[in-house]
Amino acid sequence: MSTNFSSETAIVGIGATEFSKNSGRTPMELAVEACEAALEDSGVAASDVDGIVTFSSEQNFEIEVARNLRIPSLSHFSMIPHGGGAACGTIGQAASAIFSGSANYVLCYRAFNERSWHRFGSGVQDKHGGAEAFDVTFGWTSPFGLLTPASWVAMFATRYMHLSGATSEDFGRVAVTDRRFAATNPAAFFYEKPITLEEHQESRWIVEPLHLLDCCQESDGGQAILVTSLERARDLPNPPAVIASAAQGATDDQQAMRSYYRDDITRIPEMKLCADQLWKNTGLGPSDIQVANIYDHFTPLFLPQLEEFGFCEKGEAKEFLRDGNIEMDGLLPTNTNGGQLGEAYIHGMNGIAEAVRQIRGTSVNQVENVENALVTAGTSVPTSALILSQDR
Amino acid sequence: MNRDLSQTNEPAKTDSERTNFYNSLTSEVGSAGKIEVARDSVSEPVIRSWCDAMSESNPLYISQDFANDSKHGGIIAPPAMLQVWTMSGLHLGDQFQKNTEDSPSAGVYQLLDEAGFTGVVATNATYHYDAVIKPGDLISASQKLLDISEEKTTAIGVGHFVTTETIYFDTSGKQVGSMEFRVLKFRPGTGKKNEQTDQKPPRPKPASNSSTDWFWDACNNKELRIQSCNECTNLQHPPAVRCLSCGSVLLDSITTTGKGSLHSWAIAHYPQVPAFDYPLIVGLVELEEGVRLVSNITDVEPEKLEIGMPLEVHWLNVDNEFTLHQFKPIHDEKQESEFENTKTDDNNDQTFNADQNNSETESAQRHVSKLDPDNVQIGDELPNSPVPITTLLIVSTALATRDYQDVHHDPKAAQSKGMPDIFMNILTSAGIVSRWINDWAGPEIDWSSIELRLGAPNHPDDTMTLSGSVTEKTEHGNQISLVISFLGKNDRGVHVSGNAKILLPENSKED
Repeated sequence: MSTNFSSETAIVGIGATEFSKNSGRTPMELAVEACEAALEDSGVAASDVDGIVTFSSEQNFEIEVARNLRIPSLSHFSMIPHGGGAACGTIGQAASAIFSGSANYVLCYRAFNERSWHRFGSGVQDKHGGAEAFDVTFGWTSPFGLLTPASWVAMFATRYMHLSGATSEDFGRVAVTDRRFAATNPAAFFYEKPITLEEHQESRWIVEPLHLLDCCQESDGGQAILVTSLERARDLPNPPAVIASAAQGATDDQQAMRSYYRDDITRIPEMKLCADQLWKNTGLGPSDIQVANIYDHFTPLFLPQLEEFGFCEKGEAKEFLRDGNIEMDGLLPTNTNGGQLGEAYIHGMNGIAEAVRQIRGTSVNQVENVENALVTAGTSVPTSALILSQDR
Repeated sequence: MNRDLSQTNEPAKTDSERTNFYNSLTSEVGSAGKIEVARDSVSEPVIRSWCDAMSESNPLYISQDFANDSKHGGIIAPPAMLQVWTMSGLHLGDQFQKNTEDSPSAGVYQLLDEAGFTGVVATNATYHYDAVIKPGDLISASQKLLDISEEKTTAIGVGHFVTTETIYFDTSGKQVGSMEFRVLKFRPGTGKKNEQTDQKPPRPKPASNSSTDWFWDACNNKELRIQSCNECTNLQHPPAVRCLSCGSVLLDSITTTGKGSLHSWAIAHYPQVPAFDYPLIVGLVELEEGVRLVSNITDVEPEKLEIGMPLEVHWLNVDNEFTLHQFKPIHDEKQESEFENTKTDDNNDQTFNADQNNSETESAQRHVSKLDPDNVQIGDELPNSPVPITTLLIVSTALATRDYQDVHHDPKAAQSKGMPDIFMNILTSAGIVSRWINDWAGPEIDWSSIELRLGAPNHPDDTMTLSGSVTEKTEHGNQISLVISFLGKNDRGVHVSGNAKILLPENSKED
C-alpha cells in the first residue's frame, strides 16, 4: 500500500475569507486573500512557498495565485480530480511532496463564487452532447433528468433507507446537529440560526428522499491551508497539527457521483479504503478519535461513512445518531464548525481547518482533550480522508 | 406599388399595405356561403369505420340489437361525426380547385395563401349537438365567416386567426348541430419555437461516441441492449472498452428481455428543467439479466413506488430525434382482473387500445361501468387514459373523418410544412375525447356540446394521456347534465383541453 509518511508533516497555517452568498469579488481575489491569511497565520513568508496543490472545479490556477502572492517558484504543483472528494487528498499530496523532498511549504486552497456565479447545485443541466469519456458518462443519466448532485445522491439514499431502516428524520439529525454547532460559530453562514427536526421535516422536497435542509447551501468563499514538515513546524508559532495520515481511495466500478452498478450501493467502499489506510498507518482505531468532520454535502451519505470507519456496525448509523453521539457530549462530536450544512460549502477544506483548530484548542466549539481528529472528504466520488494529531 | 425600401429591410408589408390587405381579408366577414350538401347520406358502414378507427365501442353506434331497444329505436351516428358528413372527401387531381364561391373561408384562405400564410393549424372547435343524426339522413351545411384577426405573432408563426361558424341541417331542413371553428393561417418558419408555452425543449440528448453509439442506435430501434463479453459471457453496464471481468476485447451485446425490478429511485422536484415534467421519477432498474441502468419510471404514482417492484421497458420518442428507454410497472394479471371486476368509478387507468386485435375484449370490459346519476358529483375524476399515438391511428382516423390533408398521412409533406412528422387532426381529437367520455358515462347519454382547444400536436410514438373531472352538475327535473373539463397531454405539452356537456339518461326510479 502507500508509503507510510505518518506524522512526518503538519498543518501550520489556516486562513479563510468570510463565507457568504455573494462575495462581491472575484474567485481569484478570494483565493489570494485566503492564502495570505493562511500564510499570516503560519508565520511563513510567501517567498518560502514552493508547492501548491488544489483540486478540480478550482478555476484559480496555481500559477496565477503564485503570481499574485509573489511566490517566486513552484517545484511541486498538482490538481486532484473529482472535486470535493479530493479535499483531504490535497493535504495528503502536499505531505507526500514534502516527505519526498520535492517541496518544503505547500499551499492547498479552494476559492469560488459557487453561489453568486454559476450555481454549483444546478448540476449538469446545461451540459449535454460531447464525445469525451466524461461527457459520455452523463449520457447514462442526464436524458432521464438525473442532472444535479442532489439527484445523484438521492438514488443512494432511497436504497440505504430501504436496507438499513434509516428514516428521513435520521438524515435530519445530521442537519440539526450541524446547525446547532453553526449557531455558535460566528464565522458560519447560519450563525445563530439553529433548526429543529420538525423544520427539517417540513422543508420542501429537493429530490425525494432529500428535503431542502438535507442539502448544503452553495457558498462564496475561500479556504487555504499550509503544510510543511513537522520539523519546520516546530519552529513556527502555532502548535503543529500533525498529519498522522492522509489517504485517497477509488475502488471497483467507481463512477463520478453515480456508482450505481456495484453489488451494494449502500456502502462507500472508497471510504472504507481510506479508513483502512488511516487505521493501518497510524495504529489508531475509532475509539482513539475525539472529534470528527464528516463530509455532509447531503445528509444521507453521512451515515454510511460512520459505518465504513467502524464507529458503528453496517446499517446502525441511525442508532448512533439517535443516541446523540455526534453532539458535543456524545461519543464523537462531529462538524463542530457547523459542517458544510451550517458553516459553508467550501468542498471540505473548511472542515480540515476546523480539525486544525480542534488540535490547537481554538475552536469556538472546542472539544476537551482532543488527541486525534478525523476528517473525511466528498462522498459518491473518489474520496480521501485524514487524521490530524497533537504533536507529542 | 411604391414601397419605400429604405425604411425597412424586412420583406414585411408597410403599415398601410397591411391595413389594405387586412381590409380585403375582412370584406367577406359576416357573409355566408352556399349551402353544401353532403355527397352521401349517413350510413352504417361509414359510422362503423369511424368507430373502428377511434376504438369507439358504444353499442348505440354499432349494435343493431342494442340500438333498437334504446330510446332512439335504432343506430345513431356518433355526435362527434357531425363535421364528417359534409367533408369534401378525396378529389384526386382537383382537390385545390374548389370553387372559392362555395364558402367565404375558402376565398380568405386563398388570399392568405397568396400572401405567404400557407401554414394552417386548427386551434379551437366548439360543437353543439341539437338533434341526433341517423343513417339515411342527408346532411347539409352552411358556413359563415365570423371573424379574421389582425396579424398576430404566435408561437407557431405570424398569421391570422380565421373563425367560421357552420350550421348543419338534416334532410327536412332542421338544424342538427353547429360548429364554431378557428384556424390559424400562418407564415411557415416565423414561429418562436422556444417561447411556445405548450412546447418543451427536448430532453438532453445522450452524449455518446463510437464506443457507445450501438446502445443508443438499438434504443432508436426500441431494443434494449447490454454489453456482453464473447469470451466469458459477462454482462456489463455502462459499456466499457474491455470486459470488466476477464479483460477481453471481444465485446458484443445482447438484447435484454426489457424486464427487471426497481432497485432504487429518486423523485426530482427542484431545480426544474423545462424539458421534464415534475415531480420526475428516476429509477435504478435491475434487469433480469443482472445489470442495472438508470431510466424513468412512468405510469406509476410516486407513493406506489416499491423497491423490488417488477418493471418492463417502453420507449419514448424524443422530438423524433432519438428514442429513450423508460420503465413502467408490470401489473400482476390476476390482480388486474380482480381489480377490473370490482371497479366502479375507480380512478384507475384505462389503456386505450390501438391494437385492433385486442379491441373485442377491451370493449367487452369497457361498458361494464355505467354512471349512477345520483352519485356523480362535482370533482369526480374520469379515469386517466393513456392513448398511444401511432402512425396507424393518425392515418386511419384521418381517413375515417374524411380528412385527406397530406399532413395527416404523408411525413414528407408534414415536414415541408414545418412539422417534424404527421399529426392527428382535430376531428380525431374530438372523436377520441368523446369516446373516452362515453366509456366513462355509458352508452345512453346524450351529447349537448364539446369545446376543444388545441395545443401541442400528437405525433407518432407520442402517448396522449387524457384526464378530466366533473366541473358542473345541473338538474332540471329528472334531467341531469354534467360538464366535464378535460385535458389530453403528451410529452410535448397539452394537446387538447376543453369542456364537454352531456345529459345523463333520465332516472326512472320514482315510477
